[in-house]
Amino acid sequence: MNSLNSAELLDLYQRMLRIRRIEEAIAERYAEQQMRCPTHLCIGEEAIAVGVCAHLTDSDKVFSNHRGHGHYLAKGGSLVGLIAELYGFAEGCCGGRGGSMHLSDLSAGFIASTPIVGGTVPVAAGYAWGEQRRNSKNVVVIFFGDGCFEEGVLHETMNFAVLKQLPLVMVCENNQYSVMTPLYERQPARDIYPIAAAHGLQAVSGDGNKVEQVYALAENAIAAARNGAGPQFLELHTHRWPEHCGPNEDDELGYRFPGELLAWKQRCPLLHTGRTLAEAGVAAEALLDIEQRIGAEIAEAFARALAGQPPELADMERHLYV
Amino acid sequence: MSETLMLSYGAAIREALDDGLNRYPDMLLIGEGVPDPKTIFATTQGLREKYGAERVLDMPLAENGMTGICIGAALAGMRPVLVHQRIDFALLAMDQLVNNAAKWHYMFDGKQSVPLVVRVIIGRGWGQGPQHSQSLQAMFAQVPGLKVVMPTTAGDAYHFLLDAIADDGPVLFVEHRWLHHVIGEVDKQRPAAGLRGAAVLRAGRDISIAAFSHMSIEALKAATVLAEHGIEAEVIDMRCLTPLDVDSVAGSAAKTGLLLVADCAPEMASLGHVLISRLYQRQPNTLKQAPCLVAYPNHPVPTTHFQANHYYPGAERIAEAALELLAQRPLMDTLHRQLQSDLAKDQPDRSFVGPF
Repeated sequence: MNSLNSAELLDLYQRMLRIRRIEEAIAERYAEQQMRCPTHLCIGEEAIAVGVCAHLTDSDKVFSNHRGHGHYLAKGGSLVGLIAELYGFAEGCCGGRGGSMHLSDLSAGFIASTPIVGGTVPVAAGYAWGEQRRNSKNVVVIFFGDGCFEEGVLHETMNFAVLKQLPLVMVCENNQYSVMTPLYERQPARDIYPIAAAHGLQAVSGDGNKVEQVYALAENAIAAARNGAGPQFLELHTHRWPEHCGPNEDDELGYRFPGELLAWKQRCPLLHTGRTLAEAGVAAEALLDIEQRIGAEIAEAFARALAGQPPELADMERHLYV
Repeated sequence: MSETLMLSYGAAIREALDDGLNRYPDMLLIGEGVPDPKTIFATTQGLREKYGAERVLDMPLAENGMTGICIGAALAGMRPVLVHQRIDFALLAMDQLVNNAAKWHYMFDGKQSVPLVVRVIIGRGWGQGPQHSQSLQAMFAQVPGLKVVMPTTAGDAYHFLLDAIADDGPVLFVEHRWLHHVIGEVDKQRPAAGLRGAAVLRAGRDISIAAFSHMSIEALKAATVLAEHGIEAEVIDMRCLTPLDVDSVAGSAAKTGLLLVADCAPEMASLGHVLISRLYQRQPNTLKQAPCLVAYPNHPVPTTHFQANHYYPGAERIAEAALELLAQRPLMDTLHRQLQSDLAKDQPDRSFVGPF
């Protein structure tokens, strides 16, 4: 792959592994019923968040959806803030008012995630409009799924984004499923990205499980958006391993083709990148060392988050109006 | 230096937009028809020429998308004012208004705010029909986090709009089309009202009439004629829907002992009902008689003027209801004659243009 050297790829691997292990840690503790909010894990999809966010500066902005942990973490959102938010503590990134589906860390440039499908898409474009009006060099990235592509508001947004040549990068994570409904029940047999191209966006597709490919496509798209070439569209193919919402896998429900999940697990972004690193001569010890550091970070983050305080009852009415 | 202007309500809105664009470099004025030759009933006239096409602009027909885009622009530091020529079109933007604009400040723990104004125009008559004349303000007022104001006078139109632009939260600014030609005083030096509180438009001792938007004008017309018969009605303009100023009405009702509420919306789940309910829960014993609500019927307005003429309650209905409450039924025929307009109910009555 083009410009990535071993050290850079190792860095991406480390970022992906961190998201994977955090999601696994959440899944492991979820049954304790102390994190009482709907939680959509992104295990299996880590390469997209990491490959895209690797090109963003602190002042670039990211918007996301209900499955937002990976995007939040890849953009540098506070881990303790995320965990505390899941537990509903005042120290959570939204003071416990949002839970898993509403994340925000303004200091990291992660503006917001919300769960109404399509809800943040125009908001991200509007933010990009604001950045453009200020003549900043910032880029706004919006992550959404293949289901979102069916929402009218996404097409309304593409129209305006092209009209105003906004510095917006739209990233469609095509994981083939909307909750448990396969793509072929929802959309005709055609690719998604040419429709974005027909709206006038520069649009390409790629393998969302190969981080080096995501990295290369995102590098071009983000640079183009930053340099005034208008909105960009990436359709990246991937798959989520866990159930739509919750900590478990649900392959026994039979909504996937037999063997489909297994095939995607064999295309695991970590497995793929680990193999590439090994071929490039990166020692197994280096990967083990990363595992250990991540494990320690997560243990500490949970300990810190769990030391949080419940929000004041008197605060329940606060922030209704500015 | 006091600068009191005599302006129509519509001109006051234009003046506020002009002053807002001048005062706030980050203000944007956007909406279908904003810069077109009709300029939203002339309320945006000349503003594109003065402030440029980047700040005063038309929009794609994408109400929900453009509302979301304005929310995003507001988060990024802009102050967008989005205009819908009919409130009916705002229904297409319910997701963004309700799920995002109204809740953003709350759900992200007060760290972000959405300084967005959405102008919506309600109205009546002239064949606007079922999808061009609805009065849906109660639906929006029900959403926590959305400020809903419905000014009646030119002075309030000017100040509320500027206050709404200055506000860091989302404000729904509800205009009644028939108010656009009503002339009133605009004192630019008047202190800001803070987008809250009702206003007493006419003081009286015999009966309290709390009215919304254009119904305040109808109530004033009724009160003028009632006064000729020695009945002094107090007219209170319920110009802010959230929060609803029950205190002012309670004070007036405690004085007069009679309450008539006139709403310009279908009766079902109306602000008029909310007002009566809250007042009654607070002080059931101050009223000498059960309160009365004059509102629109619970069916769409037909386009045909033959039927629409019988849809809208006006000054006559308010006066009749007042006489019922006052046990003055014998005066009814007289008042009816006095308030009878030579215009049909679906044509704006320009006999009462203010100022007040």
